[in-house]
Amino acid sequence: MNRMVLIARAVITDSIRRRVPYVIVLFAGALAAAIPSLPNYGMGVEPAVFREVSLALMYVAVIVLALALAANRLPAEFERRTVYAVLAKQVSRWEYLVGTWAGLTVVMTAVIAAFTVVIQVVAVLFYGDPMWVLWVGALSMLLEAGVVIAVAVAISTLMGPVVVVVATLTILFIGHSRSTLLGGLGAAELSYFYPSLDSFNIMLPVAHGNGVSALAVVSMLTVFVGFTGLALLLGVVMIGRKDL
Amino acid sequence: MSTNDVAIRVEGACKTYKRIGRSHAHMAVDGVSLKVERGTIHGLLGPNGAGKTTTLKMLIGLVRPTAGTFEMLGEDSTSPKGRRSLGFLPEQPYFPQHLTALQALRFYGRLGGVLKDEIDGRSNEVLAKVGLRGEECTELSKFSRGMLQRLGIAQAIIGRPEIVVLDEPASGLDPVGQRDVRSLMLELRERGTTVLLSSHQLSEVEAVCDRVTILNFGKVAAEGHIDELLNVSGQTSFKVRGLPEFPRAVSELASDVAVSGSVWVFSVEDSAVRAVVDAIDDAGGTVMSVTPKRESLEDYFARLITLAGLEVAS
Ligand SMILES: Nc1ncnc2c1ncn2[C@@H]1O[C@H](COP(=O)(O)OP(=O)(O)OP(=O)(O)O)[C@@H](O)[C@H]1O
Ligand SMILES: [Mg+2]
Repeated sequence: MNRMVLIARAVITDSIRRRVPYVIVLFAGALAAAIPSLPNYGMGVEPAVFREVSLALMYVAVIVLALALAANRLPAEFERRTVYAVLAKQVSRWEYLVGTWAGLTVVMTAVIAAFTVVIQVVAVLFYGDPMWVLWVGALSMLLEAGVVIAVAVAISTLMGPVVVVVATLTILFIGHSRSTLLGGLGAAELSYFYPSLDSFNIMLPVAHGNGVSALAVVSMLTVFVGFTGLALLLGVVMIGRKDL
Repeated sequence: MSTNDVAIRVEGACKTYKRIGRSHAHMAVDGVSLKVERGTIHGLLGPNGAGKTTTLKMLIGLVRPTAGTFEMLGEDSTSPKGRRSLGFLPEQPYFPQHLTALQALRFYGRLGGVLKDEIDGRSNEVLAKVGLRGEECTELSKFSRGMLQRLGIAQAIIGRPEIVVLDEPASGLDPVGQRDVRSLMLELRERGTTVLLSSHQLSEVEAVCDRVTILNFGKVAAEGHIDELLNVSGQTSFKVRGLPEFPRAVSELASDVAVSGSVWVFSVEDSAVRAVVDAIDDAGGTVMSVTPKRESLEDYFARLITLAGLEVAS
């Protein structure tokens, strides 16, 4: 446990040192600030539309950043052989993999929190409303980022960064396409077995509705635990069989 | 050697690498067995590509063996638990660029089980030991190749392990650094630490190793004390100074004659040593040294490779 924390900490320091997180947060923050002044019906954007657009913006930024941090993390360690000195210690490969995932997820937590605060500040300035419901959207994004990182890290045990990005985006796309892919087939029974990430789709209720039900949050957590666990498990099996 | 005295045991290690586009797989390591007694320094010698690194990586669990058992202090060393008492220096070690030397040692030391309160003291201690005092706060991106090698050694010994495995510890080091590494290994042995090192430099090995295993083409070519392996039986080597010209009486007996400045080096049959010393005295020369003739490792490797070539041909 202790060793996993050490590895996660090393991943965090390394990510903080990189410029990507700041660039993305700054860029997206600037965009969020620009949303309220979009020329919509000549009187600015409605609060609900502001929430929807800023959450969508945040979603894209989060996925891009998660992939930017995760896709090359392990491949670079393998290629530069920095992994030898770590795994020659009393560290298991699963601790190394899960520690890497945990470190990256902590970084994403910080970024998402910073992001949400930026949007809240904009909301207070333009609408006089802190829009606390945004945090539910932030939670769904954090959980989805956790899944994306787990999938990317698992694939990166065997593949290079380009393959990792393409494969992870494909899985993400399939995960959100249940209705498109199964709808036409009329195969409703199959939908229970479909590896769906739709539980994370709460942007619209957050933006336009009265928030999200407890059941939706539980369902989100379940999907997160299931997908992350499965991806990390596969990653552990794959890294365990690898010749370094 | 009772089982309690064995620090490292490798039995029947094999590793095949599949090669794309080739019909048969490549045997990088082919049935290597190895036993290292506790508290000794053991050398793993062999030419490039002999399988030294692959053997060490299998021992440490970095590469999955095709076959074989690997133990340290009686425990399976390919599992994390079996590596509890290990310090390892990888070949051409590399570390995260943005860390300083001290940060890197803190990280590896803590991973290796050094307690939080002790880590700073221990880091400074090993940095001084490998000659990096004053570089604590230098970023590793500014380290030279030899400095990285030194840091690699530091992270291997920071946890005061009972067993230290060093893959080419002298590579990239200047002569002073090489000497420092040799004395460090002797110091470790003094403390009861077992050292297994790989090398292709005779000077590195002969000065410190209690025993050596010579690998060639993935197989053990020889095992024993370095003197037994490399001394040419029945021959004595001379080093002589102050001869205006090489005496006739000696030149008839000598072989492998070489001269550099005023120093002559040559070898003779053991039985002729007396006569040669007298002849040199008579000629006004000074004998600087008389030692058992030793084959150079280069010659030894060259011979091994020719022998293996003959076997394949026949
Ligand atoms: N990852 C790999 N894939 C395929 N072949 C490999 C791999 N690693 C090593 N080999 C092969 O295994 C053989 C032994 O290599 P190894 O690195 O163990 O040699 P070595 O004795 O350490 O040599 P050196 O003195 O150059 O370090 C070589 O023929 C090499 O080509
Ligand atoms: Mg090698």
